[in-house]
Amino acid sequence: MADFSQLREAVLTGNAPAAVAAARQALDAGVDPVELVNQAISPAMEEVGRLYEAGEYFVPELLLAARATKEVFQLIRPLLAQKDIPPAARVVLGTVQGDLHDIGKNLVGAMLEGGGFEVIDLGVNVPPEKFILAVEEKQAQIVGLSALLTTTMPAMKKTLDVFRTAGIRGRIKVMIGGAPITQSYADSIGADAYGENAAAAVAIARKLAGR
Amino acid sequence: MSPARNDPKHVTGADRIPPAGETLPRLTIALQVADILRSLGYPREATPPARVVRSTEKILAEARPWLQPRGTYSLYAVTRQTAHSLEIGGATIAGNIGEFLHGADRIAVFMVTAGSEITRRAEACSRAGDAFAGLALDAIGSWAAEAAAEALMEQLNSQLRPGESFTMRYSPGYCGMNLRQQRTLFKLAPAKSVGISLLPSLLMQPLKSISGIVGLGPREIVGIHLSPCERCPQVGCHMRR
Ligand code: B12
Repeated sequence: MADFSQLREAVLTGNAPAAVAAARQALDAGVDPVELVNQAISPAMEEVGRLYEAGEYFVPELLLAARATKEVFQLIRPLLAQKDIPPAARVVLGTVQGDLHDIGKNLVGAMLEGGGFEVIDLGVNVPPEKFILAVEEKQAQIVGLSALLTTTMPAMKKTLDVFRTAGIRGRIKVMIGGAPITQSYADSIGADAYGENAAAAVAIARKLAGR
Repeated sequence: MSPARNDPKHVTGADRIPPAGETLPRLTIALQVADILRSLGYPREATPPARVVRSTEKILAEARPWLQPRGTYSLYAVTRQTAHSLEIGGATIAGNIGEFLHGADRIAVFMVTAGSEITRRAEACSRAGDAFAGLALDAIGSWAAEAAAEALMEQLNSQLRPGESFTMRYSPGYCGMNLRQQRTLFKLAPAKSVGISLLPSLLMQPLKSISGIVGLGPREIVGIHLSPCERCPQVGCHMRR
């Protein structure tokens, strides 16, 4: 088995150029890209998540690590595509209608990309119909909804209702998050999952994608 | 007095105290890298990696000109106050009034903002794939809004009479004051004069804005209060003081 210690170290310290260099070196030496993901990238990102949960890493370190893996994924995605291996899953992400809060959703998006997901970010103030269009067009499996205030939260329920009416609810998994959101709110509107923070979002998306 | 010292037309109450309101076109705020690092989630006792500190310093230096801290307030005499309601300027504000504003005989209704440029820049960074810079700029904007509120309080000092002090600040959306009260606050203070508007979802634009009320009254009655965080259920909040 190849020695991935350099690559893992580069991811852990959020050093994108070093991570890309180490990945390129491994690929040039004939390492299978799938093995590279499974043996190096995924375990390194899991470790980053653990360090965050343990309070040793903070959000900036998460983002830097995610950025390093995102760049490695950019390198290997074409190789995976050649082998017909799809990305972990496609996630459509957006802040619900009436709400303009961007940053929480962006962090979730950055972490998901670092986790190997393909993210379609629709931005803020997204009407339900726009989510549906993106799901159809990109064949996305997961939708992530974000909201900042208790007064914009109800738009999540409305979005889910429109998904049901449009007949796409059964095809997608929906996860929600944001400062005022709780697990019980997620349950009450029939979302599939609630994520407390961006690190949790990745683990949840994996579960929802069945991986 | 310049005519810009606005007198919002919808407020007619005789209990509006002159100088009725004050618009502060340029508040002076002090932002330290250490503050921004806290907003990024590092507790006071943590040592952020040198790389994070350096980038934050750089981003903060670049961001300073993008901050437009402004604020406005209007001062009212309290016409009636109960544990859960406050009457000023002919309007009633509901909330945990007794707990926050006990003993106040005047109330300043205030609005502050850091402006929208900082949010535009943060969004541009995030869209360009630089999530860290996006987050740092967003945190700078949040901190600037908080600092603008502090700076406005400094200005309000001039309204204190000898022996008086402030109550805690109290904002819609916090601790028993429903966000719906935003509508009332927007009637009582000239938010437009500093470029703040209230969307139907009760979100303020620019995003980096704060609205609220604060009481003025005899120090021995209003002066004793805890940090507002003591009353907040968001125990995991990284901004908890
Ligand atoms: C910083 C801050 C501010 C700043 C900036 C606000 C902004 N939006 O830019 C300032 C000081 C300006 C501010 C103002 C106000 N605020 Co404020 N603010 C906060 C604070 C402390 C942090 C928010 C933040 O930026 N967090 C950092 C980001 C990265 O976190 P996040 O958005 O929550 O996202 C994370 C998770 O939620 C999750 N997540 C988010 N989306 C998604 C999506 C999915 C799919 C998943 C899985 C996960 C997920 O992952 C993200 C990353 O880890 C919160 C309290 C808190 N601790 O959350 C209050 C809070 C959001 N504010 C609150 C309030 C009330 C206000 C005001 C209305 C007060 C006022 N009257 O002025 C205003 C409203 C401003 C407006 N424009 O209308 C309340 C809202 C409660 C409510 N009733 O709705 C909160 C919850 C505080 C509280 N203790 O009650 N605020």
